[in-house]
Amino acid sequence: MEATREIYWNVGHGVILPMYLFTAIAFAVCAYGFYKRVEVYRLGKELNRLDNLSGRIILLLKNLFGQFKVLRVRGPGVPHALFFWGFVLLFIGTLLIMAQADFSDPLFHIRFLTGHFYKLYSLILDLAGFIALVMLFGLTLRRFLVRPEGLKITRDDYLMHIIITAIIITGFFAEGVRIAATELRNNPELARFSPIGLFVANQFAGLDDQSLRQMHKLWWWVHFILVMGFIVTIPWSKFRHLFTTPANYLFADQREKGTIATINLEEEGVEHFGVDKIQDLSWKDIFDADACTSCKRCQDRCPAWNTDKPLSPMKVVQQIGEAAFTNPQANLIETVSQDVLWSCTTCRACQEICPADIEHVNKIVDMRRNLVLMQGEFPGEEVMVAVNNIEVNGNPFGLAYAGRGDWTEGLDVQQMSDGATVDILYFVGCYASFDKRNQEVARSFIKICNAAGVRVGILGKEEKCCGEPLRKLGNEYLYQMTAQENIEQIKASDIKKIVTTCPHCLNTLGRDYKDLGLDIDVEHYTVFLDRLINNGSLSIEAHQFDYTYHDSCYLGRYKDIIQQPRNVLHAAGGRINEMDKTGYDSFCCGAGGGRILAEEKIGTKISEARVRMATETGAPLLISNCPFCLTMFEDGIKTGGAEGEIIVKDLAEIVAERITVQN
Amino acid sequence: MKALLVCEYREGKLLDSTYELQAFAGQLGADSAMVLIGSEAQAPKFNGKVYLADAGKYGEYNPDQHKKLVLEAVAKENPDYIVFSHSSYGWDLAPRVAAALKTGQISEIVAIVDGKFEVTCCNAKMRRAVTPKTARTVLTIQAGAFSFTGEPHGSPQLEKLELADSASNVEFIGYEAAEQRDVDLTRAEVIVSAGRGIGKKDNVPVIAALAKALGGELGASRPVVDAGWIEHSHQVGTTGQTVSPKLYVACGISGAIQHLAGMKKADFIVAINKDRDAPIGEVADVLVVADVMQFVPAFTAKCAK
Amino acid sequence: MKILVCIKQVPDMESRFKINSEGTWYDEADLAFRMNEYDEYAVEQAVQLKEQLGNEPEITILSIGPDRVVEAIKKALAMGGDRGVHILDNKYYQKDPWQVAATIASYAKEQQFDLIFTGMQSQDRGSAQVGVTIAEQLGMACATTLVGFAYDNGTITVKRELEGGIKGVARMKLPAVVTCQLGLNTPRYPTLPNIMKSKKKELQTLPVADLLKEAELTATDKMYPPAKKGGGIVLEGDVGELVDKLLGILKGKTTVLR
Repeated sequence: MEATREIYWNVGHGVILPMYLFTAIAFAVCAYGFYKRVEVYRLGKELNRLDNLSGRIILLLKNLFGQFKVLRVRGPGVPHALFFWGFVLLFIGTLLIMAQADFSDPLFHIRFLTGHFYKLYSLILDLAGFIALVMLFGLTLRRFLVRPEGLKITRDDYLMHIIITAIIITGFFAEGVRIAATELRNNPELARFSPIGLFVANQFAGLDDQSLRQMHKLWWWVHFILVMGFIVTIPWSKFRHLFTTPANYLFADQREKGTIATINLEEEGVEHFGVDKIQDLSWKDIFDADACTSCKRCQDRCPAWNTDKPLSPMKVVQQIGEAAFTNPQANLIETVSQDVLWSCTTCRACQEICPADIEHVNKIVDMRRNLVLMQGEFPGEEVMVAVNNIEVNGNPFGLAYAGRGDWTEGLDVQQMSDGATVDILYFVGCYASFDKRNQEVARSFIKICNAAGVRVGILGKEEKCCGEPLRKLGNEYLYQMTAQENIEQIKASDIKKIVTTCPHCLNTLGRDYKDLGLDIDVEHYTVFLDRLINNGSLSIEAHQFDYTYHDSCYLGRYKDIIQQPRNVLHAAGGRINEMDKTGYDSFCCGAGGGRILAEEKIGTKISEARVRMATETGAPLLISNCPFCLTMFEDGIKTGGAEGEIIVKDLAEIVAERITVQN
Repeated sequence: MKALLVCEYREGKLLDSTYELQAFAGQLGADSAMVLIGSEAQAPKFNGKVYLADAGKYGEYNPDQHKKLVLEAVAKENPDYIVFSHSSYGWDLAPRVAAALKTGQISEIVAIVDGKFEVTCCNAKMRRAVTPKTARTVLTIQAGAFSFTGEPHGSPQLEKLELADSASNVEFIGYEAAEQRDVDLTRAEVIVSAGRGIGKKDNVPVIAALAKALGGELGASRPVVDAGWIEHSHQVGTTGQTVSPKLYVACGISGAIQHLAGMKKADFIVAINKDRDAPIGEVADVLVVADVMQFVPAFTAKCAK
Repeated sequence: MKILVCIKQVPDMESRFKINSEGTWYDEADLAFRMNEYDEYAVEQAVQLKEQLGNEPEITILSIGPDRVVEAIKKALAMGGDRGVHILDNKYYQKDPWQVAATIASYAKEQQFDLIFTGMQSQDRGSAQVGVTIAEQLGMACATTLVGFAYDNGTITVKRELEGGIKGVARMKLPAVVTCQLGLNTPRYPTLPNIMKSKKKELQTLPVADLLKEAELTATDKMYPPAKKGGGIVLEGDVGELVDKLLGILKGKTTVLR
């Protein structure tokens, strides 16, 4: 017998009109629902996220169909991906039916759902549906039985799980009953290519033809109505993520990671800065809330949330959505609360893991801008003191700026103001310049450069704080002031390459300063050293040691610099015991987001939590690559009671201890 | 030469700073007379003339009238120097007397060097030698800079002062007591104080631990109290408590004069500061140049043994 | 109501000071400058008073010195001052407190200010004279060392900080001069819109010679770092060694560790 089936068998061609009619209505209602939502997105400011459209579309297709971001967390990610692919296949299957039954057959008498193709088609769709059902069942068990902590169950979740399960089951029932009434009798060979359908058919095999046909009509219509119901609920439920999440892939931020909008402070007539109400946000910030499915992966990784602070990145995003849709006049800062806003360390763990490409960090920074620039607020008086110190003396310690280069006493380092000829400008940063512990890192770096024959120059007392903590705290004005002073000095020094031992300076000078007129090669010293070792300029002796390594947020997640430091440490003879949370999953030290200037008053200490993770590896040595991390870990080791268990050193110190050739 | 010393009187008592004025006059080589708006019962033990006005009538704080009374004494005594303590009373009253007489004023003298008056400046990091350009000069002396040795003795020759016109442009309402002190540092034998140099509030326990290890009390400089790191009852200084322990350890304290005034009478002073030029080095018997948060825990550990 | 706030721009006190070529003041090279800390409280109190009175009062910010003091005036304007007066004087340090007060009094006389706020002393010279002297030269009431201030219908009630933590409470009628002590209030951080507005506020520059007609009553002979007092031991070096050394000294020279 021919391998095919009669489309519209039993229900008849009479269903075509009402089917298309209802579908059209359902889609119209769905479109209307989204249209109403678009009105709310538009409460926010304009933002062009359609530039480089072809590139964006490619990313959309990759991320949507590849499910790469969803798969980052395997547990629920794999079932979701499989479920998604199953459903995509089913949808394609339906489209093929429509293509044949309503177009190619009546118009051109072309049927392709026949023969081997049809057998393959049947098999694939049955398996797709089955896998989708099983995966959905697993996800249902996870959400409703296992109940992972923090995974809320809402009305939408009941709706989604019930309706999709019902759609798949009624689909199989309709298929099964059809097969029972047709293939089971006429073409049992063919039925084997619909294994699930066959299984269902066998359950109803005993019924007579008329009962089967009645049942089939019932399941067919129920299935159809369920699908219509599903379509209609999309914009008004979490189902909307079927559109909004892929859309977010399209609208994703294409700029360098960590890019923050630079406020034009010269603009006339601008009296409002930062965000305190919905209208201050961009449409994308409001849209992000609609793309969120409350998967809580961001919250799970947030260092603040994990140390009992009230900040949940997911909640902030959703509060914005709630305000936009139900109370657009709300004061967002009061809604989210200052304690939440100040707790963020801008570590980017949330954005890095988010499967919907939501941008959490800049929303927080924008609200901080309002707090600082419009209200003169700070997370604590000690921060205001530090900020004033940066304004007066160019460093948060309040130490006389004239002494910034004093750490170089006895070292072979040139001052740029002396008109020196150098290979690199070493942008030292506030901590390496003034903090005793971090001065060791600066000295180590010089020692290494000397050994490699690299001529190093510094700005000395002309160097000021790069401005990064100021910027992340929301003080865009003072950040730009101090940045401009640095830019002036850097341009005057006529240097072509900057190397820094601080990832925050790295990001700020290399990326943020571009908006202020400085476009120059800025490199982190770990990358610099990796190259020097590879090209033979730097020779180090491998003294074996065991260690664990902390990927700082601003080097790892922000700059993707994960391998090079490990190369260097390997060359130094190190045997690494990786922490669980390593690489892109690294757990913040707690000092980012300007919080290095603040006292940690809420919850437990982030630094102690990370030190504990380090001690759990059993390694006696923790190696870091950032002055903030080094400071936080020295603190965390003491206050967390890990003294004697582990020590912390910067990578530079390890390398400096192993130099073999002095140039 | 002649000096007219302006005594200070508060809450019914003559303040001891009076005798510091006397010591100063002695060093200056001037004959002195005193003027006091106070009470006969509290007249200073001094073998000389004391112009006395009744604080009951003119008030303990009444700069307008006190100025006029002092000017009366000046007219009678015709001194070359009019000397005040550089205190909240002195720096408030002295410029008024100086302006009325159109004389120069030299404030907060710490020493007489080569016949010139030496004052501090730039947060006590520097000194200036100042000379008057007028025949008569108003001077204020730093609290504790000139010590009176021995016991004050003598009977003053009192002359009453009265004002014809008792109008005043300031009305004194009264005093507001300082907060209740649950810590009496004045009796402590050992005090370990925390200054801004400890870095942050979280580091206070480290200093307190040293105080405990040495069997002493925790003290604080003003900035640390203002920042809310330690309660006011632990403040050492002119607006806190004046202490004289056997051992005073100043951790991360630069040595602002107001703090020094409160503790420089300690028998033995140790200062821990990363700045070897910190003014506290002037009064310290030992200055340990080190990072407070590195040195103190190590030192505490050794003390505890 | 017309309010005057007198501020001074001083070097940051963390700086290492060197003597200038005249030998009588500090050399300005390599120094970071900021508003005198006491004056910050004065500016803040004036702004709080203005806010209390519904923004009716006009606050004039005055400072004497070279061009760099304009930055301090601008900060005060950003905190809430309405107009600035810069009395240009490149040799400001050669004037004694009497002359400084006379300069300001000369300016203030025709302006008829109701209230003058200033810090109780400057962090660099610290003579604590100028505020009171201005009051005397203008015949205004005056109270110093304020840690409390309240205004009610032409009368101010002030709390003065006295030694030992006691406060003295007094009352005066306007016009008056008050000098402010640290801790009087919490100086606000200027908001950005206010910083932008301050750039457009009126800033008047007057040469000091126009206002100063008085000769000096005292003169600075020289400025110098203090002589290192002998007898004090300075210990430097490795922390472990320092600990042992200090222990040794304490055991030897005090009864504390016996």
